[in-house]
Amino acid sequence: MNEALYVFPGQRGRPSVLFQSRGGLVPCRSREPGLQLTVKSISGCKCNAISSKNGTLMWEPDAFPFVKAKTCTDMSWIKEGELSLLEKISANILKAGPMPKHVAFIMDGNRRFARKKNMERQEGHMQGFNKLAETLRWCKHLNIPEVTVYAFSIENFKRTEDEVDGLMELARQKFERLLEEHENLEKHGVCIRVLGDLNMLPLDLQQLIAKAVFTTRNHNKCFVNVCFAYTSRYEITNAVREMAWGVEQGLIKGSDVSEALLSECLYSNNSPNPDLLIRTSGEVRLSDFLLWQTSHSCLVFQSVLWPEYSFWNLCEAILQYQLNHKSIQKARDLHREHQALQQLEADRACVAELLQHHSNGKPVDSQRRQEALLHYTSCREERVRDFLKALKHKRDSFFSDLCKVLSL
Amino acid sequence: MRTRMALMYSLLWRLLLILVHVNRALFSWLHVRIQSWKGRLWERAATVLLLPISLVGFPDFQNNLNHGPDANVKPITEKSTGGGRSRCLSDGKSLKKIPVHIGLLVAEEEPSYPDIANVVVWCMAVGISYVSVYDNHGVFQKNNSRLLEEIKRQQQDLLGVDGSMHSVEFLSSGSDQHQHNVVSCRPTVRVLSPDDGKQSIVHVAQQLCRSVENKERSFKDINVSMLDLLLRESKNIPDPELVVKFGPVNSTLGFLPWHIRLTEFISLPSHRNISYEDLLGALQRYGACQQRLGQ
Repeated sequence: MNEALYVFPGQRGRPSVLFQSRGGLVPCRSREPGLQLTVKSISGCKCNAISSKNGTLMWEPDAFPFVKAKTCTDMSWIKEGELSLLEKISANILKAGPMPKHVAFIMDGNRRFARKKNMERQEGHMQGFNKLAETLRWCKHLNIPEVTVYAFSIENFKRTEDEVDGLMELARQKFERLLEEHENLEKHGVCIRVLGDLNMLPLDLQQLIAKAVFTTRNHNKCFVNVCFAYTSRYEITNAVREMAWGVEQGLIKGSDVSEALLSECLYSNNSPNPDLLIRTSGEVRLSDFLLWQTSHSCLVFQSVLWPEYSFWNLCEAILQYQLNHKSIQKARDLHREHQALQQLEADRACVAELLQHHSNGKPVDSQRRQEALLHYTSCREERVRDFLKALKHKRDSFFSDLCKVLSL
Repeated sequence: MRTRMALMYSLLWRLLLILVHVNRALFSWLHVRIQSWKGRLWERAATVLLLPISLVGFPDFQNNLNHGPDANVKPITEKSTGGGRSRCLSDGKSLKKIPVHIGLLVAEEEPSYPDIANVVVWCMAVGISYVSVYDNHGVFQKNNSRLLEEIKRQQQDLLGVDGSMHSVEFLSSGSDQHQHNVVSCRPTVRVLSPDDGKQSIVHVAQQLCRSVENKERSFKDINVSMLDLLLRESKNIPDPELVVKFGPVNSTLGFLPWHIRLTEFISLPSHRNISYEDLLGALQRYGACQQRLGQ
């Protein structure tokens, strides 16, 4: 029933015709990779026997539709091309100052863009994806190695079924496209990571994502983190759950829980905290995105809609980052010192408790206390290392197991 | 050759920063002048003149210029009579929406207690029932008695002799916490510090992990609502709908990460010598924000 409907490609941009007699719900695909389909017209059977939604066609079992579809160049994840002279000069000027190493984007404004240009919502989302690919190209030229984007929030499941299905279908197409151009990804050293509660997604999408993450896991020139089925509160809760799992497994103790350990248990633990967070379309809130990780990041709110984002908007945001760099760095250092102090206090308290227990109330000299503290700290660090290794193994297996199912 | 190029770009970058600072200074000078002229023609002229050079991201400044406070708002003077409070209340009612909890994030060095106290008192007078004050050094926390004194003083100034009737609940980390079930009818002022943010979440995590250690629950039981509930058990801080940030630093600086998921952020350049109109302008901009909540 879910067989893909293949369009025999005519020339690019020219309509091609096909027909298929089986009834059902099928996604519209092009047989040639890199080509995307837009359904232009359907004819040859009663109108009410056919319905079309979100790039899929549905018709009655006895219908023999003629489908005219237009093929156009599919949008890739990687855009090649150099910057213009003016862009190059501006980039070089900016690079003379401190540059963010990790930028996060809340790509807001696709639907408003679609309304503004009188397009379908789905088209707005596709333009949004196109802009993402372009932004990755700019970041490459600006030597920004890591980008995190907010693609789909858990709250977005509340949208109409049509729109959610459309977004899932778009995601399927994009991840399939990603897998098709894996050689190009290897050439550019792009590592794709997907963060979120992936078990909320349809299984076939999970498998596609797992394959994409698995195939690119060893690339290390640039990193793209896509937040899909993600909210920050779920992420933090998941981190707490993982630590509780570690306690249940006997790998760590309850007293080992700290701010640093929680950070290591988040979905984003392989990345440094974002230096810069950009939200487009003029909204001035975080919408449950990376709340823990951006506590000391530079926040830039821009009123441009995401599909209209330009290189100059990005430069503007980076300039804001540079203006705030010193004061944010100071705040970060202060926080880190405070954190280290708290860890030391916590360790001291644990050691004091232990010594009390062992010495049966007899006073302990400061030398012995100091030795005990060092010993305790190194034991704790070892426990934490083993726990994090086990956690990494658990997460890697999740992806590799999903891949195994796919290849069967 | 390469080092010469690098040097040239470095100089150009420094020049760019200087230009930006000059532009900012010019903008804020003009902003002050426009407020005093209050002529629409001057406003329009200034916007047009400065628009090209103000392209370097000062949306907040532009917003302040475009959605400036009403011409009808008369400035509140230091020693106003009891009429001040009723006027604040009517201003509050005329706003499209008022936050239940407003966060005042001071991202500046050396806070000025009288000015912050002013803002707190105005917020409460306008009808906001929960006002929190935060800075990332924990300075307000350390000097919370001084802040309380200033607030009491400003209340008297604004409300006149009747000020003492309008009692306020003042909370900081050290003070005794009432049970979270008791809904206080008095407006609340809360002093927050970085420990109320990530560290509180860590405490809850430790609590949960200890209960797992003692076999009281399994890790599978842990979910978002449980974490949320436990966080509010010890310090019942409602989610702030609005955070007004004072100062040039564009960051939350560790302010309540769990609670700010849907918070609107509005920036004002500084809290020093802040006027009632500035605050009202920020509240009006908040009124214009529309939340879609994912839909």
